Amino acid sequence: MAHISIENLTVEFAIFGANSRSLKNQILSQATGGRVMAGARDIVTVRALDGLNLEINDGDRIGLVGHNGSGKTTLLRVLAGIYKPSGGAITIEGRVGTLLDSNAGMDMESTGIENIYLRGYMMGMSRREIAAKFDDIAEFTELGDFLRLPMRTYSAGMFARLAFAVSTAAHNDILLIDEGIGAGDAAFREKARQRIESLFDRTPIVILATHSEMLISEFCSRRVQLEHGVLKSAA
Amino acid sequence: MTTAALPKQKAPVTRITAEAVPAQAFADLLDGARLYELWSRFAFHDIRQRFQRSVLGPFWLTISMGTMVAVLGLVFSTLFNQDVAKTLPYISTGIIFWGLLTSFINDGTTVFISAESYIRNLPIPLSVHFYRMMARNIIIWGFNMAIYLVVVVYFNLTLGWSTLLFIPGFILFLINVAWISLAVGVLSTRYRDIPQVIANVLQVVFFLTPIFWSPESLPNRPAFVVLNPFYHLIEIVRAPLLGEVAPLLSWGLCIGIALAGLGFTAWLYRRAHARIAYWV
Repeated sequence: MAHISIENLTVEFAIFGANSRSLKNQILSQATGGRVMAGARDIVTVRALDGLNLEINDGDRIGLVGHNGSGKTTLLRVLAGIYKPSGGAITIEGRVGTLLDSNAGMDMESTGIENIYLRGYMMGMSRREIAAKFDDIAEFTELGDFLRLPMRTYSAGMFARLAFAVSTAAHNDILLIDEGIGAGDAAFREKARQRIESLFDRTPIVILATHSEMLISEFCSRRVQLEHGVLKSAA
Repeated sequence: MTTAALPKQKAPVTRITAEAVPAQAFADLLDGARLYELWSRFAFHDIRQRFQRSVLGPFWLTISMGTMVAVLGLVFSTLFNQDVAKTLPYISTGIIFWGLLTSFINDGTTVFISAESYIRNLPIPLSVHFYRMMARNIIIWGFNMAIYLVVVVYFNLTLGWSTLLFIPGFILFLINVAWISLAVGVLSTRYRDIPQVIANVLQVVFFLTPIFWSPESLPNRPAFVVLNPFYHLIEIVRAPLLGEVAPLLSWGLCIGIALAGLGFTAWLYRRAHARIAYWV
């Protein structure tokens, strides 16, 4: 059974000003004892998540809401293992997949076919897994012979179709999605909706960070609200 | 710990606690190494990408380095009044390994910075990007070794059992460039001046290190040769390929540097690996 347990999770990170990132300032501030150059070490620590507690069970479809900068993306990144906690713990049972940026891992100079593989590998699929799903992905994009052309020749809509088709092909126990998903013209959008539904159906846990109440009422069974990195409500 | 939706896939249990974060540095390096299918594919992709639509493809690497070796060999054998048959093999092996060393270190400076979109969006170990860079440079080195083969045949180099020392020599060489490039990768991500500093230093070291000139042409070996770690690093791979035996001092120094360097990089990666995702 897929399961996520978040205990007292805190994430803090230092934001370096343009100044403090340079070695010169660091050395100078050492030399001057950090008094004259006090302004150079303008490191601000941001507490993106603060003492979060949450249990997520098999079958949960979580709609993660909150205003910009409330910690939604940070929480998804921690669950994906990208950001590490500075306090507390998380326990994850199951294989985690992400849809944080569906363009990551795409290469404009390579053909559509190559990109299906590249993106597939980066999402943790093996060559055999991708080959098995290849026809399904290719057919879904409706790009036909364009798949043999480099991605740089694609329009934005064609690009989005391919990225969407590959991203939704993986099979994981836990899926983390940032912002809205779906792409293309009206006819494609309906197809995309069906594909998302089937993706949600076969994934034990889905966490969807979004601003769209419509998506939440359509796809989600629970609603978790963050505010300034603190859990405001979890239903 | 029970089975997941698919019968064949086991559900891995991951527990991440704040206290255990530094210890995960080594798990990151191991997990990354296990994904060899991923990074070796991307390494080949990088090379294909670079030479897409070019007729000769990666052989351009061989050609450009070969031209440089030939010209340097001719110029310096004339300048120093030396036999081409002695100079050219020396210069070609020196340049091939210096090229491998510098591309490792220079690519090392951007290894995490250039993988930013992967690092921030995909749940894969950080070290994958490092292994991808290593694999890419070793493939390029393979193409460059064609020059060496041509030199061996053309100048009829006499190779013996001592040539087999190349294998441990090359492993030691790789261990050393690996720790250097991972360390500069971490430091460069945090301090963005370091890539420039490194590129500068390497340029100066190129002239200080006996690569296109031989220390044999000097009456006594100056300190910048004897104490130059890069000289010893090149020597342990170059000497066997020329049918010679590298001095024991070179071997000893390279082993010592490898141990100290691995220790340093392990300490650094343990401290910093969790913050790289914020720094990129």
